[in-house]
Amino acid sequence: MRVDILQKIEGEAFLRYRFKKGRIEHVKIEFPHYRGVEEIMRGRPAEDAVAIAPRVCGICGHSHLIAAAEALENAAGVTPPLKARYIRNVTLGCELIQNHIKWLYLVILPLLKRMGFREVPFFEAIDKSATAGKIIAIFGGQYPHTSYAVLGGVCSDPTLLEIQKAKLFAKEIEDFFHSEVMEEIERFSEFKDSRGILKEIYIFLKHKELLDIGRAHDRFLNLREGTKILGLKRVSAKLRYVSTAPSGIGYAKNALYKGKYFEVGPLARRIHTPFVKDLHRRYKDGLFTRIAARVYEIKILLSQLKETLKKIEPQGDSFVKTDSLAEGTGEAVVEAPRGSLIHRVKIKKGKIERYEIITPTQFNLSNGTSLNPGPAQKAVIGLRDRSEAELVFRSFDICSVCTTH
Amino acid sequence: MKTKALWLQGVSCNGNSHSFLNYEGLRELLSKVEFLYHPLLPSRLRIEDLADFTEDIDILVIEGAIKKEGFLRGKKEFFRLFQKLKKKAKYIVAVGNCASFGGVFKEYEADLTGVGYSKGEKIADFENLINVPGCPAHPEWIGSVLSLLCEGCEPELDELSRPAEIYSYTVHAGCLRNEYFEWKVDSATFGSKEGCLFYQQGCQAPYTGGNCNKILWNGVSSKTRAGMPCIGCTEPGFPSRDLFKTKTYMGIPARMPKGVPKRAYLTLTGVAKSFKIDRLNNPLMPKGPGCEKEES
Ligand code: SF4
Ligand code: SF4
Repeated sequence: MRVDILQKIEGEAFLRYRFKKGRIEHVKIEFPHYRGVEEIMRGRPAEDAVAIAPRVCGICGHSHLIAAAEALENAAGVTPPLKARYIRNVTLGCELIQNHIKWLYLVILPLLKRMGFREVPFFEAIDKSATAGKIIAIFGGQYPHTSYAVLGGVCSDPTLLEIQKAKLFAKEIEDFFHSEVMEEIERFSEFKDSRGILKEIYIFLKHKELLDIGRAHDRFLNLREGTKILGLKRVSAKLRYVSTAPSGIGYAKNALYKGKYFEVGPLARRIHTPFVKDLHRRYKDGLFTRIAARVYEIKILLSQLKETLKKIEPQGDSFVKTDSLAEGTGEAVVEAPRGSLIHRVKIKKGKIERYEIITPTQFNLSNGTSLNPGPAQKAVIGLRDRSEAELVFRSFDICSVCTTH
Repeated sequence: MKTKALWLQGVSCNGNSHSFLNYEGLRELLSKVEFLYHPLLPSRLRIEDLADFTEDIDILVIEGAIKKEGFLRGKKEFFRLFQKLKKKAKYIVAVGNCASFGGVFKEYEADLTGVGYSKGEKIADFENLINVPGCPAHPEWIGSVLSLLCEGCEPELDELSRPAEIYSYTVHAGCLRNEYFEWKVDSATFGSKEGCLFYQQGCQAPYTGGNCNKILWNGVSSKTRAGMPCIGCTEPGFPSRDLFKTKTYMGIPARMPKGVPKRAYLTLTGVAKSFKIDRLNNPLMPKGPGCEKEES
């Protein structure tokens, strides 16, 4: 057995490899420690959930915030006003954008460099991820860890000029993205006549014959949309079929859909776009498809961001008052940076009686057996080289912090 | 020679590491400081190298709460690494509420502590400890303290070992709702530009240290400006309960603004409330539609 520490992801994880004839036969993924967020919730007034939830994770805490607010709303039977929903879409989208930029520049490129890729400076990219944080702060007051989304809407009531400022910030990120990362293209066509980091990565991986390593089960879930994708066909999926089971190692639980392992995340969300479809046709759900889907999602998010910002009307309401939330159960699913994130809450006498969080990494990094492996396990089985395996793991954008909530 | 710093995480959410990446002077700072290890930024050492690491360091940054047993970093007990490194460090900078006072995860594991404090109680005597609480700490708090230490300069500290320059202000100072506070006009609901959040929504800013409303977050705003009550994340009592409701005593907020005697507060309130200032009881500005034009 060979134990590697996967680090400089969000937190750390242990990879316990078993090799046979020079190839990975199986790997167990261990997430050490548990921080008890669900326990911390218990007994608190229901409204406090939105203050505790972001503290699950420093990079996707905003997704936890939105999930908590929506779970409370679901329990209360309340729909927040349209304006609040638009604003939440804006800030949530920005969280995904900053995540994906940081992931590319701090999680993927440094490892590629060790494998021979050129050194890529990260300051400008980090600066642009911070710009996405500025947009969140315009609406939410700060980033990370605002709790501006509350039961019934959002706390802020932005002015037209503030929205204008957000648009300028969005433009800054977009300019950077299209000049550095990838140009505006709709089809793959091997990046013909276009340039950018993503194309360089493509050429690098092609040269090393790594484009299509790292294939998982080729089945996906996008629970926010309510679909599962099997062989590129989208069929409806229901939250109630999601369950968790002990993983037998560390503190994380496996997350399954109807007892099976599914992949969640940008690839699941974007597989039907022409660009990702082209890649999938060639490289299936392999390494490059997964990397490119996450990068390409930035482009989609940026154009959605622009559209949504236009739709926010200052004269609308940001918040509806709810009679205090005494009893009820609620659940919500949000598409967080790494995929479908579920929060479930049970409220009794105004207090949280039970809280459950299922994170995307629990789906992607479930610990199965060598005969029935989880998605990331499946993706590395058969590889010879541990840094290639590490690259495959990183392509899932693992969050140990979330998983050990 | 660059200042040698090492960023080690106890029980944390990574939030301070990410907050730090938003520091506007990051590039400049990293030209003065080398992080021998950092949980996100590229560094010379890997986490497992810390086990055999014996060099002296200038600044040990701790993020997250201290757990004495059963918590690994690399393949080693975190606490052993921490014990070793703190002896090698000229300064210890505890970033975030977790590292300063124990923070949010202490609600689950009561024996978690900060580096030098457990909640507000001092548990260890460090001459060289600087607390930079916040959940997370403001990037500029982390960045400017580190950059000051690089120049061999130390900030004045308050009684909780926090830089006084930052935490002597209350978060209340500089909030756009100050006029409403003065005239005791409360915010009827969330989602409004008008009104102060001290009377109903639980705003803790008048007794919470921090210059959030002076330097602003992400360069653009603050929670209270955006209509969210301050939840007191720079103080040892964080996180308290019922964060979105003001605890009142006979209709008066139970906790007074920092240093203000109840009698003084009540007197002023009585006077302020006996006047009704129209401007503050009406919408601040007319609100028009947005920019979306109907497609024709
Ligand atoms: S202080 Fe807050 S932001 Fe920092 S590690 Fe603790 S929970 Fe996360
Ligand atoms: S909302 Fe909070 S920070 Fe702002 S004026 Fe009122 S008490 Fe002060």
